[in-house]
Amino acid sequence: MTEPERSEWTLEETRIIRERQASRSRVLGLILVALALLFFSITLVKVGLWG
Amino acid sequence: MEGASHLAGPFAILGVPMSSVTQEFVLPADWRDFWALTKPRVMSLVVFTALCGLLAAPGEIHPLIGFTAILCIAVGAGASGALNQYYEADIDAKMVRTAKRPLPDGRMSRDSALQFGLILAAFSVGIMGIAVNWLSAGILAFSIFFYAVIYTIWLKRATPQNIVIGGAAGAFPPVIGWASVTGDITLIPILLFAIIFLWTPPHFWSLSLFMKADYAAAGVPMLPVVAGRKATRWQVFLYSFPMAAIAIAPWLMGEASIAYGLTAVVLNLVFLGLAFAVWRNSAENVEAMQPEKRLFGYSILYLFVLFAAFAGDRMWLS
Repeated sequence: MTEPERSEWTLEETRIIRERQASRSRVLGLILVALALLFFSITLVKVGLWG
Repeated sequence: MEGASHLAGPFAILGVPMSSVTQEFVLPADWRDFWALTKPRVMSLVVFTALCGLLAAPGEIHPLIGFTAILCIAVGAGASGALNQYYEADIDAKMVRTAKRPLPDGRMSRDSALQFGLILAAFSVGIMGIAVNWLSAGILAFSIFFYAVIYTIWLKRATPQNIVIGGAAGAFPPVIGWASVTGDITLIPILLFAIIFLWTPPHFWSLSLFMKADYAAAGVPMLPVVAGRKATRWQVFLYSFPMAAIAIAPWLMGEASIAYGLTAVVLNLVFLGLAFAVWRNSAENVEAMQPEKRLFGYSILYLFVLFAAFAGDRMWLS
């Protein structure tokens, strides 16, 4: 997501930004893996290889 | 700590519509704030009614495709919630019940909320169309549009009938669940739609009766604010009758067994009794509004049990 830009963040703000970016990246990574598995599974169903 | 002022706290420019609020620097939101943006509690009711529509439908659907359909409906509901909160942040900031949401609390930028809502909407509709069918995807897209544009942008601030017409948005999930299996829409999903559509006014008006001050402060023309509590209580009682009739209709029309019929009759008799107690109540202070609070709480249980009974009945008894 786009965030407003500011030239100078305090050290505390920078630490919080990094923490949140890291946790968001982890959650987004999990969602992407889950989506890849879902799309692969849907493909198997659609081409008749699963059920 | 300079940064603390950016982490929380309402907007400094309350009272000005969000469209004209220039938010200063907001730190990147936590993923939990994005989750909160999807209104998870509302989503649970949407998922449940959609699942009941899917289970009640005749025919077969592969469990994975069924799961995908429900997932898309849930994500679509989340998109509606995010777009709703994007537009209503100014109202939310003025209401005690909603002031701690991510946008009014200053934990997220409006741009992030808008982008998040649009991405969820596009993904849910696209995946539904490709994996399930395009009828379901079309209804899902329309329901997101209806909630975000017709209800949120147009009706909510314009008329006390906002939740009557807007209630249609919440009534689509069982229709989408049904269409995911059958690829068409028949009388039964229309009945399921009508049940939720007619259930919404007594459900929301009973809430707004004891939250009137909140809505008045936010300038939302809910019925108790515009017409007063006496007129609202009368409307709550009146709307309960067509709702009860529609809820029992599947049994009377031979689309459900007597087990569902008896369940529906009992549930609706209790609903009508509680609605009658609301009508009889003339309290103006919130502490004395136990009938309204009871009806609001019961209305949620009512919808869960009624839909579970219908889906179970269609699966095993009819």
